[in-house]
Amino acid sequence: MEKIIYAIIANAGKTEQVNDYVTNIRGITGSNLYALHFNEISVAVSDFQSSKFIISKELAIDFARVIEELSQQLTVLPIRFGTVVKSDEIVKQLLTDNYNAFRENLLKVENKHEFGLKVIWDYDKCSEKIRSKVESEEINAGKYFSKSTINTNYLLEKLKKHRLEDAVLKHVELLIEEISRFLAQINPDCKFKKMLSQNIILDGVFLVEKNMKSEFIEAIEALKQQHDDLHFLLTGPWPPYSFVEIQIDK
Amino acid sequence: MQENVIDQSKDITILELLDRVLNKGVVITGDIVISVADIDLVYLGLKLILTSVETMQQRRLTTIKPNQPQK
Amino acid sequence: MSENKILLNSVPADEIKEAIENIENTVTSRINATPDNADHGLAQLVLTLIELIRKLVEKQAIRRVEGGSLTEDEIERLGETLMKLENKMEELKKIFNLTDEDLNLNLGPLGDLM
Repeated sequence: MEKIIYAIIANAGKTEQVNDYVTNIRGITGSNLYALHFNEISVAVSDFQSSKFIISKELAIDFARVIEELSQQLTVLPIRFGTVVKSDEIVKQLLTDNYNAFRENLLKVENKHEFGLKVIWDYDKCSEKIRSKVESEEINAGKYFSKSTINTNYLLEKLKKHRLEDAVLKHVELLIEEISRFLAQINPDCKFKKMLSQNIILDGVFLVEKNMKSEFIEAIEALKQQHDDLHFLLTGPWPPYSFVEIQIDK
Repeated sequence: MQENVIDQSKDITILELLDRVLNKGVVITGDIVISVADIDLVYLGLKLILTSVETMQQRRLTTIKPNQPQK
Repeated sequence: MSENKILLNSVPADEIKEAIENIENTVTSRINATPDNADHGLAQLVLTLIELIRKLVEKQAIRRVEGGSLTEDEIERLGETLMKLENKMEELKKIFNLTDEDLNLNLGPLGDLM
């Protein structure tokens, strides 16, 4: 029977307790969730007949529900949805082969929540200042192109476009620095993606100590006060999906 | 109007959730994994190609110096 | 899963739609990969990749123009090639009926190349 893998768990030697907790959580497709162990780490697994099920939104959401329930009481490393292997033996092999990496990562996320922050603006309105600045920086065409042809005009347009993009990017980088300042006391691990689109200028994830949750939210609210022109979407707490740094290719 | 906001909140929550569970977490690929979504194989192949393209481009760039005599 | 995870949301209604669509693009490619739309999905994937490379090439080309180390001829050829590349891309998009949004697939770590 094929197995689907949900999460790596820190068991602190208490495998019986982990078993009890895990088996009380319903797996996806009505399956029974159970745990396998190796030293100080365990893994949550359930039966899964891959030929029988279509990958659907509902299945993925249910999978996330299992991870959420596990993370209520345990330190977990979520496994990406859809990871199905042939047997328990293979699962155990994964545990032993990657033991150290899993342990280290578990330590890193212990007692922490993940939060996500998306910063959105109206590009046309907010980039006004940046755009006029770039346009006023007369790009002296003569500096780059000795004559005006279809090709050089094309390049000139691209040059302007890239200058603008660079300027916007710098603006976002300043915002990232500001966020880091606001969060200096909390000092969470963070990762940022810039310019998801013209309007979604920042997508950040933060790994925050559980007991600093309110401070973190307050800090983001304070940041928001400083920027009337920007919109903030803060979500969480999530299990540490974005702070899992393990890729296994076997 | 109020309902719309609640729906949107649900949508956002579900999407953020899906983004995490589908695109993040421990990634295990290779022969041991039974591909439930074949798209993973394509992405893995892409990753290899693009990494080599970027490496090639970087190599090309580092051999060109700004004050080389013009042809 | 009923728990609401939204802690703060100051995004106005008209702008939130786009944010929602943006995340949707990153997840639907993984969920909707069925044999029926596999062809469309494949074209989308391939063109997203080509577009990424084209953008990278364009960026590097502009940097070289700014660097001032190119001859007049090289600049002409560069401009002509880039223009042809972009036009070709537009053609391909039309043939496969793909919009710019379609080509914004989440390429994970690859997307960070930009």
